[in-house]
Parts: sequence; structure tokens; C-alpha cells
Amino acid sequence: MQPSSPRPSNHIKEEVTLAVANLWVSYQARRGTVKAVRDVSFDLRLGETMAFIGESGCGKTTLGLGLIRLLPKTARIERGSVTYTRNGIATSVLEMDSEALRAFRWKECAMIFQGAQNAFNPVLRIRDQVWDTARAHGETNRERVRARVLELFRLVSLDPDRVMNSYPHELSGGMRQRVLLALGLLLDPQLIILDEPTTALDILTQRSVIEVLRSLRNQLDFSLMMISHDLSLAAELADRVGTMYAGCLVEVADVYDTYYHPYHPYTIGLIRAVPTLTGERRDLISIPGTPPDLIDPPTGCAFHPRCPYASDRCREEQPELETVGTRHQVACWNWQAVLADRGARLIMVAGQE
Amino acid sequence: MAAFWHNLKTTLRLLSHNKVGFVGFLFVIFFILLSFVGPYVVPLDRTTKLDQIYAPISLQHPLGTDFSGRDVLSHVVHGGRDVLTVAFLAGAISTVIAVVMGSVSALIGGKVDSGIMGLADVILTIPQFPLLIVLAGLLRFNNVLILAFILGILSWPSLSRAIRAQVLSLRERDFVEAARALDLGTGHIILREIMPNMASYLAVSLIFAMTAAVYAQVGLVFLGLVPLSGSNWGVMLQLAWTKGAIFYPKALPYILAPVMAIALFQLSLVFATRSLEEMFNPRLRTGV
Amino acid sequence: MASTITEARALAPAGVSIGSLLRKAARNYVLRRLAVAFIKVLIVVTLTFFLIRLMPTNPVEVYINELITQYGMSADEARNQAAALLAIDLDAPLSQQYFQYMVGLVQGNLGTSFRSKGTPVGAMIAQFLPWTLFSVGISLLISFALGMLLGMWSAYRRESVGDHVITTFSSIFSSIPNYLVGIMLVVLLGVQWKLLPITQMRGSMSPGMTPGFTLEFIKDIFFHAALPISTYVLTTIGSWTLAMKSSTIATLGEDYVTVAKARGLSEGRIITGYVGRNASLPLFTSLAISIGFIVGGSTLIEFIFVYQGVGQLLLNSITSRDYPVMQGIFLIITFTVILANLLAEFLYSRLDPRVRVAGGK
Repeated sequence: MQPSSPRPSNHIKEEVTLAVANLWVSYQARRGTVKAVRDVSFDLRLGETMAFIGESGCGKTTLGLGLIRLLPKTARIERGSVTYTRNGIATSVLEMDSEALRAFRWKECAMIFQGAQNAFNPVLRIRDQVWDTARAHGETNRERVRARVLELFRLVSLDPDRVMNSYPHELSGGMRQRVLLALGLLLDPQLIILDEPTTALDILTQRSVIEVLRSLRNQLDFSLMMISHDLSLAAELADRVGTMYAGCLVEVADVYDTYYHPYHPYTIGLIRAVPTLTGERRDLISIPGTPPDLIDPPTGCAFHPRCPYASDRCREEQPELETVGTRHQVACWNWQAVLADRGARLIMVAGQE
Repeated sequence: MAAFWHNLKTTLRLLSHNKVGFVGFLFVIFFILLSFVGPYVVPLDRTTKLDQIYAPISLQHPLGTDFSGRDVLSHVVHGGRDVLTVAFLAGAISTVIAVVMGSVSALIGGKVDSGIMGLADVILTIPQFPLLIVLAGLLRFNNVLILAFILGILSWPSLSRAIRAQVLSLRERDFVEAARALDLGTGHIILREIMPNMASYLAVSLIFAMTAAVYAQVGLVFLGLVPLSGSNWGVMLQLAWTKGAIFYPKALPYILAPVMAIALFQLSLVFATRSLEEMFNPRLRTGV
Repeated sequence: MASTITEARALAPAGVSIGSLLRKAARNYVLRRLAVAFIKVLIVVTLTFFLIRLMPTNPVEVYINELITQYGMSADEARNQAAALLAIDLDAPLSQQYFQYMVGLVQGNLGTSFRSKGTPVGAMIAQFLPWTLFSVGISLLISFALGMLLGMWSAYRRESVGDHVITTFSSIFSSIPNYLVGIMLVVLLGVQWKLLPITQMRGSMSPGMTPGFTLEFIKDIFFHAALPISTYVLTTIGSWTLAMKSSTIATLGEDYVTVAKARGLSEGRIITGYVGRNASLPLFTSLAISIGFIVGGSTLIEFIFVYQGVGQLLLNSITSRDYPVMQGIFLIITFTVILANLLAEFLYSRLDPRVRVAGGK
């Protein structure tokens, strides 16, 4: 599951496609306000793939929905800014009116949802839903759309003619997922958000979706934001990984660093919680305790009740993301202690051998 | 005794959780008291008083008087018993038939199943009210029991289908499997294991069967097809119609009385189902 | 569907057995539905025939006795006249009478009226049925369409004042028997407030009116049908509204609606093609039941408004004990309901592609 080596990153441009700054999203629930996304900031560059990992309920999906402002009625974006840039023209997503937002969705930013099982209108053929999408964004030439879709369907290894004339229920789950993926590429968006793209798929279909994503990323020019609790998927596809905990981004690092030099105790816990297939023996420990209550989150660092390194400072003061290495940010008061500890353990392991 | 009061209090608390449903429930109880206790309190006015035809609302006649000067309120009080009795009997008969047919169909299966469901399908196909009219033309429904029985016989199919589906799904559950493993017999399984799980559904269906029975019986009486004598909301309605009372502007209270009695009774039954549904189905306990 | 038929046709000459052809036909959605409807009609006809013959008060015997006692006919004369009117040999065994009756039915012969001597029942029905179909059909269209709109509006504006008003109105009017609403319309609009000329509105059209595609005629028939239609609409619109509201709320939570928004579809397209179309599907299944109920209840409404429809005719035939008319109308109403069911089912299968494929269930 580990990235074999730092991936060559020459496909990543310097231009920032999406800049998110201090974003807060909360839900109105019966018991009180659920602070689902708390002060999240990150930059996504053109051509870059960034994975967001974390336990379920940590705010990953809310973050994704918030970026295209498709949150449920009970949710509200409290603060922050989301800036989208294409060809040097920057627009603020949060200030768009409904028509601009409608045009932005899918044409600029396509979100592929988790569990695409019910992503399609059951009473319309795929070709009509494709045409609906194209027409909504000003396309008038049916033939041009058709040609483009056939090409995309081949790209995701689907039989174009058969799929086009099918109703959603006539396709398998994996096929539907790939149709949605192809549909996501239809308008050449510059940003694609993938929410749990492989859950609810069987292992073989997962494999083929991953292969498709990998080859697409190399062939086409877009930024990819991937939301997943599946660390192996992130390891295979991402350039950078953001770890989320209790609505906060607690660590952002290149994929290689995330897996081999994580600084945040939570990231370490997440990685250790995954068994490896390579035969390397590691302590398979899961993180003790339960995910925090987002209505009344713990004071200070939200992770402190479950953290082995927790100190008094952690209980009182919330750490901010700070840059600790090349393109490596972490929000932890004790990251140096974590680092020292890991060094000691590495020496210990080496000593045993 | 204490346990009884405690249970009663819990039941009332659950019932009052849904406001609309609780009001419906209170009205149902009001109509039961009105129709079964009321006649002992308010005597039926049978004397013709020609000088008091269509008298306006007054203290003496809170609902005015009818075409021969009789007190309308007394007729409303005495006119509910038959309507409520037929409604309840028809509902109960159809529920019993539906339970038997539905569970037999589900548990025996095969030819019996397709036979019963086929029969249900045919009965559902035949438009009920015209059939009742034809039957009323052939038979004389001069007894409320016959009427209740016929209404019950015609209205079991849709409930029996639902019961069949429920039994089929409940049959697979653990507690029924366990009962079967203990060889407790089909009757026991149905009555003790399956039916309690469907209590809310049955109660709601019983009430809906009652509203259908009220609709049909009053309709038949109104058309003059059921030669019922005595006081009955349906008969009041029919007399108001045939005596031409509807064309007298002064007769409004007289016409409104049976109309409102029937409409309110129907409404309270329908609204009461909301409380019942919530009481038996905790997931619905939202208080809305 | 179509491919199955052509396939079957193409294969037949090549020597495929009738059995396999039948099996193919049984798998065909349309054919299977048609067969079920046909069997239902057959059962209802048979039941009606035997039910009436086996009644303790056999209406045929009653009529014969009436002819003897009231018109002084001899027993044979009376019996012959009854047989002629019914187009059945009354001396033949019951099974043969049944056969004759069925042959007559297939030829469209429903017998002859006892009361309006010499008038075939078929002709009487042909005169009255169109009015019922017209008034009921128009009402159904109005209340179905309006109910869907109101239900969707309520679902989109949940918990608003408008929603509460619509929902309360709907639950009250769907619980009150339709004839009570009809009576109140007559009493309030016609008598108390004198807003409508109730007596002129009776009948299905004004005397001396010639049917045709003239504006005058169309205005006239709507004038006469206005009250029955209002009653049907008032009492059925509530259940459509409530059903559509809950169905819309469920549909709004579906993934494909969220995805459609993410795809940037216009609000109009999402409301019609995605939410509306899917939310209305369950309503089409209850359309069939509703048709039966309204046609069945038309007797009461037509009685109240003195509307010359088939329900009124049925009532007249019962009070005058005109048994062939009664039987004929009952059968025609049942046919109409079965036919309407069939149409509703086909409509549904056109609207929901999943039914066509999984039609076996």
C-alpha cells in the first residue's frame, strides 16, 4: 500500500487551481451546532492530486460538498473563502450567484459521488442524461457530444453504444461508477472531486476504477481532490495527502512523507491501523477511543483525549498548521517529540535485527 | 390497580404525543359516548309540532327542528348507534377475514395462496359501491347486521394482501423461527408471534375499514336502498333530501346536523390513526 | 417487448411448437396483462350471472310473477316475454342459459329493458355512459394534475404557511365522504347563498342543445358538469396532494437529485425530469384504484346533482327493478374499471423502464 518511491512531480504546474482559506462549515442539528469543517485551508495546484483521509464523520465529505456549495439545507458555510482560478482568472466560489454557481458546477468542477449506485435518474437512458448535462452548459451540437462521450466511455473501458442506450438499472455498480467518471470528464473540468470513488465496489471493479483514474491522470490535465478513508487508494493515486480530524486539517504532506515520515500522532495511528500485504511486520494497532463529538469538541487539540503524546498545552490551546519541512505542514504541539520517538523506535528495530 | 393506572397513564401520554391524533381520539370517544350513553340522557323527540317546523337554533332546540317540528339534537344523539355499530362490525369482520386469509395464504402457500390471492384480486377489481347497490336491489338489507356482514366480506382483500406480505417477511425472523423449532403450531405462531408485531397496522387498517363502512352504509341509506327505520344519521340525510328540506334556507341547521356528525366522525377516525401509528411505531414519535 | 413479438413471429414458421410460443407470450408484459384482464372480466361476468340466478329472490321469477299478477298474462306468456327480453331460453338448463348469455354478450347484446319496453340495454348505456366518463375523466385529469403540482409545491416549501394550509385542507377533504361535499355544495352555493342556479344546472345538457363541436355545446356541458366535477375534484385532490408530497420529499433525498444539481442542470429540468417524474411514479399505481372508486361513487354524485350518467341510470333501474339494465350497467362499470386499470398499468410501464424489464413480478 505504500508509495514505492516519490512520484515524479513534473506534471504538477505551479498555478494554483483551488485555494481554500479558513473555511468553516456547520450543521444545525437538534442537539446544537455541528462544526463539521473547522478552519480548513489548503492550495491545490493544477495537475496535482490531493487525497483527504480520515475516519468517517471527520468532515471530508462536507468539505467536498462545501466547495461546490451543494450542502444540505441544514448546513451553512460560516466563514472562509474558496477561490477557483482558470487561465489566470480567479473567481470566488462562495460569492457566486445561483446561475454562476450552476455554470461552475461540472463545467469547472465535477464532483463524483460515493456510491454511484443511485447517481443516475432511473427513468432516463444514459444518453439522455449525458445530453442533459451537456445542454445545461450551453452545448447545442448533439453529434459533438456523442463523439466526445464515446471516446470517454472507451477511456474508462465501457462499451459505448451499449451503455449509451441503457437505463441505469441495466448497468452493474462498477459500470455506473465508470459512467459517472466519464460523465465527469465530459466538459473538461479543471477540478474533479472524487468522494470515496471505490467504496461499495467489489475488489476487481475497484482495481479497474483505480487503473482508469491513474491513466486518466496521466493523459488529461486536471486537478484531483480525492476524499477517502481508504489509505491504499490515496497511496496509489495522490501526490499530496491531507489528514483530517474532527473537521480540521491536522497534517498536509507529500504522499511519500505522509507514509514514511508522518509527524502527527493521528496520521501515524491511521497508517498503523492498516495491515500491509508486503509482509512487513508492524504493530497493527487501532487508535484507541472514539471520534470526537463535533457539537462540543474537546478543548485545545481535538485529538488530545486519544493521543499518547497529549500534554497540558494540548488540552488548552489549539495548535495551528505550521510548516515543518519541505511542503510538510502539521498541527501538533509535540511533533518534535513524535519525531524523536520514531527515531528512537527505528533505532530499536534496527538493533533487534 | 396501581399497575393499571400506570399503564393507562403511559398509554394516554403516548396518545397525546401527536396533537392532531389526540384530538381525533377524543372526538371518537365523544361520538361513542354520544351514541351509546346519550340516548339514555336525551329522549327521542317523536311528536309532530306543525307550528315549529324548521325552528331556528334556540336553547330549547340547540340544533333547530326538522320538517315536522321535531328536535334535531335528539335525532343526532339517537342516530349514531347504528352507524357506529355497523362501522365497527364491518371493520372487525373484514379485519378478521383479512387476517385469516392473509396468514393462511402466506403460511400454506402454493395453490391455496394463489387461489386466495386470485379471489382477493377479483373482489378488488369489482367496483364496490355499484356492487352494493345491486346487492341492495336484490336482497333487502333491513338489518344492520346483514349490512355489516356484507360490507365486511367485500373489504378484506387489500388488507389481506398486506398481511400476507407481512407474514411472509416476519416468518423469516428469528422469533418465528424459534417458535417453529419448538413446534408450537401454526395457530399459535400467527396469534402469539406474528399478530402482536402487526398490532399497529391492524388497528389502523380496522379504522380505515370503518371509515369505508361509514361511507358505504350512509351512501346506501341516503339513496333509499336500505329500508332502515328509526333514527340514523343516514336516514336523517335521506329524509332531509326527500322532504325537500335542502331547498328551505331556514332548514340549514337540520341539514348540517347529520352532515357534520358523519363528517366529524370520519375525520376523527382518520386523525386518530395518526396517534395510533405513532404509539405503536416509536420511530415516528416526533410529536408533529 | 416489441422484439419478443417479432422474434416469436419469425421463429414460428420454422417449426417451433405452440407450447414454446405460449411460453414466449407468457413472458410478454402486455400479453400477460391483457390475459389477466380478460380472465377477470370472465370471472366477473360469470359471478354476476350465477349470483343473480341463485338469489332467493330471483329477479326473473319476480318479473314473471309481476307480469302475471299485474298484467293478467298467462304463465306461459309471461315466461316467453321475459325470455325474449333477456334473449335467453328460460327453459334450458342453467349451463345452457349461461352459454347463451355469453354468446349474446360477445355479440354486444346485453338484453332488453323490462321497463322501457323494447329498448336494448346496450343503447341505454350508450346514451348515459359517455356523460359519466366525461365528468369522471375530466375530474380525474384535473385533480391528478393539480394534486401533483400542489404536492410538489408543498414538498419544496415544507413547513411554510402555504404547505400547512394545503396539507390541512387535503387531509380534511380526503376524509369526508364525497356525497356530503356534494350536498353541501347544493345547500350552500345553490340555496343559502344563491350563487348558482342549481335547478338549471341539472341534467347533463340543456334541453334542445344539439351535440357537436360548437363552443356553445362545450360551454353547456361544462355548465352542467361543473358541480359533479367540483365535487369529485374537491374530494380526491387531497389524497393526490398528500401522496405527491411524501413521494417528492422522498425523491428529493435521492442521490440522483444531488448529482443532477452537481451536474449543473437547471432548476427547471431537475424539477420536471428528475424530481417530478420519479416522484409521480407511485401515483400512477394508485390511479387504477382511484378510477374504480370514482366511477363506483358516481351513483351518489349523479343522484345529488341529477346528472344523467350511468350511475343515475343504475339507481333508476334498481328502484324500478329493471333487472337487465341493472346487470348490464354493473358489467359495463366493471369493464370500464378493468380497462382503466389496464391503461394505468401500461402507462406506468411506459413511464418506468424498470417495470418493463422486471415485468415478470
